[in-house]
Amino acid sequence: MLMMSRREGETILIGDGIEIVIAHIGRTRVRVGIRAPRETPVIAREVKLVRDENRAAAATAPLPTALTGLIARLQPASAPRSGNPV
Amino acid sequence: MPSLDTKHLGRISWEPGSEIDFPRGLPGFEDRQRFVAVHFGHTDPLIFLQSLEDSALCFTTLPVRAVEPDYRLSIGDEDLVLMGLPKNRQPRIGEDVHCLAVLSFKEAAMTANLLAPVAINLKNLKAVQAVAQEGGYSHQHVLLAEEKAAACS
Repeated sequence: MLMMSRREGETILIGDGIEIVIAHIGRTRVRVGIRAPRETPVIAREVKLVRDENRAAAATAPLPTALTGLIARLQPASAPRSGNPV
Repeated sequence: MPSLDTKHLGRISWEPGSEIDFPRGLPGFEDRQRFVAVHFGHTDPLIFLQSLEDSALCFTTLPVRAVEPDYRLSIGDEDLVLMGLPKNRQPRIGEDVHCLAVLSFKEAAMTANLLAPVAINLKNLKAVQAVAQEGGYSHQHVLLAEEKAAACS
């Protein structure tokens, strides 16, 4: 992986079409500006993980009747915590 | 009472005021914005999030604290605003919001998405699937691995 040091306000160019600006450096977070062609999707990695996970979850949605075994295992495990709000 | 024939849950009906509104849908399902939370006594503590716009779309979920009793929310300001909640203060699970972890069933294990729990404002039923800002939670928290499942049965 290419590593570069940049100061606040400085820019990185990727190819001809993508520009990344270090807009603000906070104590624990960096604010980054991204200029990219409309057809280039730009999302945080976590959002992609969640999107893929949701698609997998929806594709495997099981029938309630198929969950009997799972529930039998869950109920004893969750019983001692039943005082907790959901 | 409105009702719907669903692919996974059969025919369901719900109180008109109990519809949950996801103003931005869920990641991967951005155009699915109206859901209901369905539970059956015999499948508790599972809660099924059924889309009202797609009868085949249903997420199986668990209350996040049934998965992780000490779960701490870290919802970003933008998501708080979408739910109509004040910024700069995390909502309390069970008092301000319901908080559900989406389950996924894979060959090797059943996992819960703790990275992005579904939060539902109890006052107005506006909801987001909010990517946690901190906490180091996994999007594939293993709930039940295959060997363990076999050993218990």
